[in-house]
Amino acid sequence: MTTPDVYVIGGYQTDFGRNWTKENKHFSALMREAVTGAMQSADIPAGDIESAHVGNFAAELYCMQGHLGAFFTEVDPAFSGLPTGRHEAACASGSIALLAASAEIEAGRYDLQAVVGIEQMKTVASSLGGSYLGTAAWYEKEAEGIDFPFPKLFGKLGDEYDKRYGLADEHLAEISRLNYDNAKLNPNAQTRTWYMNKEHALARDDMNAEVGGRIRLADCSQVTDGAVCVFLASREYAENYAAERGLSIDDIPRIKGWGHNTARLLFEDKVKESREAEYVLPHVRSTITSAMERAGISDVFGEGGGVKIDGIETHDCFTTSEYMAIDHFGITAPGESWKAVEEGVLEIDGKMPINPSGGLIGAGHPVGATGVRQLLDAHKQVTGTAGDYQIDGAKNIQTLNIGGSGTTSVSFVVGV
Amino acid sequence: MSNQRSLEHVVVLGANGTMGFGSAALFTQAVPRVTFLARTRAKAEEGLAAAIAQVRSNSLASRSDVGSYDDDLAAALATADLVFEAVAEDPAIKGPIFDLIEAHRRPGSMVATVSSGLSINGLAAGRSDDFRANFCGLHFFNPPNVITGTELIPNADTDPEVLDFLETFCRTRLGREMVRTEDTPAFAGNRVGFKVLNECAQMAEDLGPMLVDRIVGPYTGRALTPLATIDLVGWDVHRAIVDNVYENTKDEVHETNKLPDYMAKLIDQGVLGRKTGGGFFKRAPKGSDEGDMVLVPATGDYVPQSSITLPDMPYVDEIADLYSQGRYVEGLNVLCDAKGAEAALARKVMAGYIAYSFERVGEVCESITDIDRIMGMGFNWAPPSVLVDTMGTANAVKMIAEAGLSVPAALADAAPGTQFFNHPTTNAGRFFVAA
Repeated sequence: MTTPDVYVIGGYQTDFGRNWTKENKHFSALMREAVTGAMQSADIPAGDIESAHVGNFAAELYCMQGHLGAFFTEVDPAFSGLPTGRHEAACASGSIALLAASAEIEAGRYDLQAVVGIEQMKTVASSLGGSYLGTAAWYEKEAEGIDFPFPKLFGKLGDEYDKRYGLADEHLAEISRLNYDNAKLNPNAQTRTWYMNKEHALARDDMNAEVGGRIRLADCSQVTDGAVCVFLASREYAENYAAERGLSIDDIPRIKGWGHNTARLLFEDKVKESREAEYVLPHVRSTITSAMERAGISDVFGEGGGVKIDGIETHDCFTTSEYMAIDHFGITAPGESWKAVEEGVLEIDGKMPINPSGGLIGAGHPVGATGVRQLLDAHKQVTGTAGDYQIDGAKNIQTLNIGGSGTTSVSFVVGV
Repeated sequence: MSNQRSLEHVVVLGANGTMGFGSAALFTQAVPRVTFLARTRAKAEEGLAAAIAQVRSNSLASRSDVGSYDDDLAAALATADLVFEAVAEDPAIKGPIFDLIEAHRRPGSMVATVSSGLSINGLAAGRSDDFRANFCGLHFFNPPNVITGTELIPNADTDPEVLDFLETFCRTRLGREMVRTEDTPAFAGNRVGFKVLNECAQMAEDLGPMLVDRIVGPYTGRALTPLATIDLVGWDVHRAIVDNVYENTKDEVHETNKLPDYMAKLIDQGVLGRKTGGGFFKRAPKGSDEGDMVLVPATGDYVPQSSITLPDMPYVDEIADLYSQGRYVEGLNVLCDAKGAEAALARKVMAGYIAYSFERVGEVCESITDIDRIMGMGFNWAPPSVLVDTMGTANAVKMIAEAGLSVPAALADAAPGTQFFNHPTTNAGRFFVAA
């Protein structure tokens, strides 16, 4: 049985540099701007949308607000009565919403779905916010009473690499430098005016303070406020959409493959499980390879003559997570991510660009929005609309979105 | 002319001033070597220290060196790819500095001035062909590490390749929003922005600063209110800009650009805004029991802000509530329909801003999008096109006509449904502050 195709019609991202609390704005304004912006930019009438999925991590904590699917109906009078819901899987919440929406299209229930990834986080001080983020781990065991638990968990990921293969700070600093540089090209990136260079990322002083083991400020993505809305469509809807605009169905990107795995919660359990394995986080590897397999791609570089991945939007919540992604995508052999960093492979004009958008480190990480932002950036790349951060001739882009310490992983291959 | 330009070495003159060290800091992000120059080495070192404190990175020092005009300028300019001049806005100071640049610069090296007031053609006059071909205005707004809007202004002889190079470099490496303008007084951003600010300063003479900043408050599309803005930029800077425009232009709002007499008097007494402890508003010293104070323009005295009673303006709260939910169209429509003298004044200022912006197209820059970008990213104000699109062209036309102003042709003749704001990567919503 062949699975029906799911098309990505386009969408809209709010500027991740904005602080909605400073603008005195409610969560509903964030939702409204993302959805109305998406309808405008993709030229979709409100009446076409049949259902909506909202990805969000912790609005109950940050905004004292639950029942987020219902907020979709506030955006436009035409939405009153639509089926909506909310999905949560920590930092992978946005991708889980995408998976649910795409499954409903595959099942033939709906022809056009809105997926909103959304998080408002600047409502609280960073230390309290850091504690809220700790609920993405096993809170009592890994986060309770610890300042900024997540940098420490991802510091341990670096330590594990160091133990198995060796790891130099210089390569992590270079990952930070590249994400910040790319973010300068992205008008929606949180850090586009921030000061960064490799020397700063390597500095071991109080201006680049330690936040968790080997993780320093420059190694971290930063929380922010942001929302992204994309539209997923059935083939029938996409064909009509294309025809009305003088396009071919082949011009409309589709989700060619997906992967989804959930590992055990505790970081130490994950590491224990992988002790004899080739990859430090085998379930992340499996998520990546299953998305590629579903897309008919055997290897990230298309070796052996197959289709290749032209660029990656990965989950770099910390430099160590991107370092992990490099070998898990198969860009290098396990433990050799440093080679890709040194050889310029990951630059926008390199052999396998990673995070042309600036990723989480450069573009910002409004937790529930990130997975949807990655999919929208993949859409921009394969439609040639990424502006200054466009990868020349990109046809297939793969995403990797991770919740917790490598716990829930989701990957999509988006292509034309 | 080589199309293989690169920026390996930038020399900043006047690197001890706020704009000088702020710009130098910006360049260190993307340029391997930046030289901070000032009258003395000690002053240049102060600039470097201030730059490090501003961007919070010691790495800046490893890409920087310092020196004085007398001892180090000649050697520094011999290898500079870009000479960035940020000395005081005084022809008597700039003239000799330009002589030094001319004498020591490498042929083909670029020269940019951050001047916001002086004519770029005037500064280029009498210089060599090579100097003029490589010289332009590069107007960062203060503080450049926060405000991305940047104006690029050619002189009559600037090589287009120099402009293209600087525009691309600043956009892609320094994260700047680049806007090309004509060499007209105050260029584009300050011409439009300070017209509005000065209009508010004129209104304050009768209404008082607190009422003016309430009427032209955040709900009209700005994070910082107008008179608080003048206090922040400095009354002397305000005077220099509006005097320049008043003396060197003759447009339809000429008298609106005339500095109010009460400001001139107070400036002469040393009132320059926040940097001298107060302007329109004066904060109570920390730990004191006194409340914040406000200026009485007619007398030059300060009275407690708590002694001023403002009229009830319920429509402002209604708009703020709608904005807080992202309902910007409905919010602006409340302003369009609101009754009362205060709402009428708010509409008058907004209408004046929109009309003045549209009328300047073709004079100060090529398109309304250029003015939109510099007002949005240089002033952090709702760009005129965003206001028109959000309230609807018909409402904007009505607002301008009711203010007694002539309706710009671009608005009067617009086809129904025309959207004027053409900058899809900018969230228009960010300009509607819910307060």
